[in-house]
Amino acid sequence: MSNNSKAAKGKGYPLKITAVEVKVIQNPNGGGFEGSDLEFVKRLLPTLDWPALVQAANDVGIPTLPPLLTVELSEDASFLQALYHILMNVHLIKGMLTCPVTGREFPVTDGIPNMMLEEDECS
Amino acid sequence: MENTVTEASSDKTTPYLVLVEFAYKHLDFHLAELSSILEIHGIRLGSEQCQVVPLPLPKNYDEVKKRRNQQPDHQPCRSYVILSFPPKEASSWAGETAETNVQGGCHQFDPRIAVRPSDKLNASPYVNSIAEILYKSVLVKSVIELWGYSSESLEDCADRAHQWITTPVSHSFQQSTLRPILSDPLQSWKFTVHTLGTKFTREEQDRMRLTFHKTLDLIVGPVKMKQPSQEYVLIREIELDGKASPYSLSEDKEGRTKSEPAKEFHSNNEIRTQKHKCCTAPLAFYFGRFLGGPRQDSRGLESYTLKNRPYLGPTSMDAELSFVMTNLGLVKTRDIVYDPFVGTGSILLSCALRGAYCVGSDIDIRVLRGKGGDQQIWKNFEHYNLPRPEILRTDNALYNKHFRHHADAPPSAGSEKFSTPLYDAIITDPPYGIRAGARKTGSKREHVRPVLQENRHDHIAQTVVYPVSDVMSDLLNVAAKTLTLGGRLVYVIPSFRDFNPTVDLPRHECLELVHSCYQPFNGELGRSIVAMKKIAAYDEGKRQRYSEKIWIHGAASAEKCANLREKIIEAAKQKPGYEEKAAIRKEKRKANKQSKREKRSKNLQE
Repeated sequence: MSNNSKAAKGKGYPLKITAVEVKVIQNPNGGGFEGSDLEFVKRLLPTLDWPALVQAANDVGIPTLPPLLTVELSEDASFLQALYHILMNVHLIKGMLTCPVTGREFPVTDGIPNMMLEEDECS
Repeated sequence: MENTVTEASSDKTTPYLVLVEFAYKHLDFHLAELSSILEIHGIRLGSEQCQVVPLPLPKNYDEVKKRRNQQPDHQPCRSYVILSFPPKEASSWAGETAETNVQGGCHQFDPRIAVRPSDKLNASPYVNSIAEILYKSVLVKSVIELWGYSSESLEDCADRAHQWITTPVSHSFQQSTLRPILSDPLQSWKFTVHTLGTKFTREEQDRMRLTFHKTLDLIVGPVKMKQPSQEYVLIREIELDGKASPYSLSEDKEGRTKSEPAKEFHSNNEIRTQKHKCCTAPLAFYFGRFLGGPRQDSRGLESYTLKNRPYLGPTSMDAELSFVMTNLGLVKTRDIVYDPFVGTGSILLSCALRGAYCVGSDIDIRVLRGKGGDQQIWKNFEHYNLPRPEILRTDNALYNKHFRHHADAPPSAGSEKFSTPLYDAIITDPPYGIRAGARKTGSKREHVRPVLQENRHDHIAQTVVYPVSDVMSDLLNVAAKTLTLGGRLVYVIPSFRDFNPTVDLPRHECLELVHSCYQPFNGELGRSIVAMKKIAAYDEGKRQRYSEKIWIHGAASAEKCANLREKIIEAAKQKPGYEEKAAIRKEKRKANKQSKREKRSKNLQE
């Protein structure tokens, strides 16, 4: 998920997600949310394009993300935990990524987005 | 070298020495992995905090070399490293209580490294004992607190050990920590002799033990062979050749064939071992207290070997080397690691085992998707109960088009969106066309034919061969762009023996070469594992300049790692008997084809 939303093609960004199948993993490893995970999410924050992420989350049916990332929120442990869950445990298994500019579609099958371009699109 | 040894032992505040014993393989990797492991824990090798002490060499080593007709600059390949630490810090390196080290939790290899949050780094300098730290290295066999060592004789080693432990300095580690252990009647102990490459009878080992009676007599506790609280070790090191067999064996054989060739045929095992024994003069003796690492078994690594994984490919990296690469990449828990040529995910798996979050991509959808059932990348991760990695199908040659722009700083002009570099490490085994051919998107035609609209949805993009020099320059460029500052790029590059890492490796202004370790295969071919560190911010505007400077000798260097498959075949043709063997193989193929054809026609008839 985190990368699906980050993967974009040139000007055509962010890709719109059409989800067919979404898999949500609850508590991988059976372990809980640890301090190191919190550090991890904090470190991820500057790499996120927030509006794009909100859009992506909406697309896969998670409309709970706030529209703006405030400073308070980025210190809030429970918010970060929820964000971690969305980033790490929600996987798009089957669907389509659509470029908002050109309408070019990239299929996602078995959880693997196929970002390959045709040979005439390379130059 | 001898001077430093005597100086060190006569000095009253002797440094705290630790002997690290490596497995006798991947010799070139030892120091690189050691320093990386230490660096992950915030220790810089070579700083005052931790230094490498040169290993002792016998005084007559020059003569030995001459006798063996070796070059004067020949250095023995040795699988030991002595580290020295300031004496003040001895107890923290040894571990709080001695007991936890020897028989405690150190038995199972646990690849995870829990790193303290960076803000607490200075508060408590060493949480882990040196044995715990070095235990994360796959190549380390054992860690020993070195009491005394000598290249001269066993007696000398015993004297030095005794001298060290009975140092009169009152607040020293020896007096305050070790002596209480020795005089504790509850601390059971045993003494073991390790002789690599040579055999000694029980009586001989007994004699060696008695040499140390002065030191061993200080121990009050009972002897216990099974699970003692302390283990004292004597190591007798001899010189081994690159293939881990004793040097003098071959020397011995040659000597015999020259002087008394007839005996060669009568030599039974007994004579051989005897001869063998007296000829393998020791390089050095080490005596010390065992701090960690079961010495014999492979300490739980076997559960990670390839054969225990559900999904494999022909180029899966073996578990041991993946762990070495993980270590060279300074991968820690919660790092983000990217592999642009992920294949079956074998390298990412070892990173995930360390607790890193993994992203992988590959151009070949077939390996990514697997064969269904158990044959999928995810299955390997599930097998070890690891979180699912992020897998994409992309083309590393077109990284710019696939991913959002990364930048170390916002671009000065305009409000273009940017994100900070994401990856802490890029660890990969790029395709070099030996076993797996490299391909990138493109067309063989000069004028690319447009793909018709109605064909687009199921069109399969054409790919063309991806020249190795381009694989490398794209890889370095992507790494320079997407790594965080200080992040590491670790990759494998096959190389012939004439490959010179200082001039032939690809380079990049933003990346600094940290390690280059050579692993010889048979014959001329080998491979190097190269680690680079990002040292400067990437500037998209300089891209042209970056790619021009990748190869120091231009095309000549690029040529050296290109067309390897052809070169290997060429080399094989040079060998005597190639023609015959090729003919036999051809016959076999023919027969194989024939039988298949017959089978098919039989099936058809039925």
